[in-house]
Amino acid sequence: MIKRVLIANRGEIALRILRACRQLGIEAVVAYSEADRESRAVLVADEAICIGPADAKRSYLSAPAVISAALATGCDAIHPGYGFLSENAAFAEAAAAHGLTFIGPSAEVLERFESKAGVRALLAKHGLPTIPGSDGVVADEAAAAKAAAKIGYPVILKASAGGGGRGMRVIQNADDLAQLFSLCTQEAQAAFGDGSLYLEKYLVDTHHVEVQIAVDKAGTALHFGERDCSVQRRHQKLVEESPSTALTPKVREEFLARAAKAIGAAGYRNLGTLEFLVGPDGKPYFIEINCRIQVEHPVTEMVTGVDLVALQIRLAAGEAMPFTQEQVERRGHAIEFRLTAEDPVHEFRPQAGEITTFRSPSGPWVRFDSHLYAGYEVPPYYDSLLAKLIVWGNTREEAIARSRAALLEVEIGGVETTRDFFLGLLETPSFLNGTATTGMLDAIGTADILAAAPKARA
Amino acid sequence: MPHNTERLGELLDSLVPVLVERLHETGLGEIEIERDGAIVRVRAEDLGAPGASAPAPAAPRGATPSAAAVAAPTAADDRRHPVRSTAVGFVKLAPDIHVGGKVAKGSLVATVDVLGVAVEVRADHGGIVAKLRCASGDPVEYGQELFLLESVGEAKL
Repeated sequence: MIKRVLIANRGEIALRILRACRQLGIEAVVAYSEADRESRAVLVADEAICIGPADAKRSYLSAPAVISAALATGCDAIHPGYGFLSENAAFAEAAAAHGLTFIGPSAEVLERFESKAGVRALLAKHGLPTIPGSDGVVADEAAAAKAAAKIGYPVILKASAGGGGRGMRVIQNADDLAQLFSLCTQEAQAAFGDGSLYLEKYLVDTHHVEVQIAVDKAGTALHFGERDCSVQRRHQKLVEESPSTALTPKVREEFLARAAKAIGAAGYRNLGTLEFLVGPDGKPYFIEINCRIQVEHPVTEMVTGVDLVALQIRLAAGEAMPFTQEQVERRGHAIEFRLTAEDPVHEFRPQAGEITTFRSPSGPWVRFDSHLYAGYEVPPYYDSLLAKLIVWGNTREEAIARSRAALLEVEIGGVETTRDFFLGLLETPSFLNGTATTGMLDAIGTADILAAAPKARA
Repeated sequence: MPHNTERLGELLDSLVPVLVERLHETGLGEIEIERDGAIVRVRAEDLGAPGASAPAPAAPRGATPSAAAVAAPTAADDRRHPVRSTAVGFVKLAPDIHVGGKVAKGSLVATVDVLGVAVEVRADHGGIVAKLRCASGDPVEYGQELFLLESVGEAKL
């Protein structure tokens, strides 16, 4: 039983978790930094508690501050959202030691799935195809060179402790490897406190496809279909949709069932996402796992009708999986657009400042998850996500047409946003015909996409 | 300022009662005099009406956490200094923190228990405790006002 949850996050996801708690009849307290005093989640919450200054290291990333806030407000559980402390095993362990339920996988599970290199080996053992790569972490440059020669260039060098699109570098040949290996090690050490690297064959023209899974305490593992997140810029996802255009129906069902089976057997618990690359051969290769609720979870909610945040809370409370795989029906097509405070005209430069005007879109099957309001000050300290527009249609074409209409309704004044970029993307042939791969934005270029956008009244 | 502390103390002891009396007689809001290079100012709201100009406490469980931050400035603000929590947890006030208690600048006035670690709260100003905003054992949030200090002739403290 969970009675009172501390929401240890900010922005739209704090609001999303607050809504799930209210729906479940669970009390919620929003933990916030000084920079987020006027945030919508704080204003909307019944209770809120300031946990530290704007600097995330002393607030959202401070395990003692978050746990102390939970105890000070009489909470019995913590929802970490995404980012920040959401996949931190030491934090999950400390929370449990203070009698708090961590809404996510347990510390033991997080630890087991912490090393990216280790997880690849573990899931390969449980039947998931992985991209040819080094056998776990490479000890040094010589070992990396040997592994790269065996699998063939180009390869991608990845930080074992990395994530969120950070800590990876494409290596074209042996000379590059010699030059960049120690630099990558240093970068990984600086960014993640762990310099371990592993490498994988670098597949060009791939789709990024991920599977939403959930596992209850008894090990019952279900999947909720896949999401295609191929539209990326520098490994940052911009658009996500479900189902993926890269999978044939036959490949899809076998692949999803296999993913759910493997993750249950490997001992994973609670909500998670398995990420795959689908190469030109149409086959998915496992790359990594995310042990948290993800930004793009609403895409899956729209096609399945399952409230994933509510499910995550119920599973963390120890409840059994409330439905069977057969009962998880997937219908139609959903697309999400991440509207961020970035200026696409200037290399997606991050923006901060007051939101002067704000109008959210609406209409049938249009969902808009956002913490904005007119007068809200976007702080410069955190990530630039402003809103997620999620649109559902019976078909992909219908979802796209509806997305276009919804995007035209969006008005966010005061900061530059990625809205017009998405309007342009919806006129771009490779997106429209479903062939967009992770390399698309490099190939087309931002300027051409922006030029394709219909001119809105300014 | 290089004042002789003892002399200043005597000065305050002799002057303040007189000034307070004059304040009541005249109904003035404030009286200020200069003596031997020191300025002594007595203001009605500082002495009288409790909490007349105090902003609302920032309650960790309250629905209006921004109240303290947006409280309008008042004439007394430059002499009233809120002492704020430096952490989120359970507060323990130092023994001399009670209304009327004297606080020296930089002294340890409270600790906040954060998972068993006592995080110090020190006074940024010297002064007299004018109003308590919490009690030992209370849960407090980061930046919460613990009590108000009023600066009166710091040299005396």
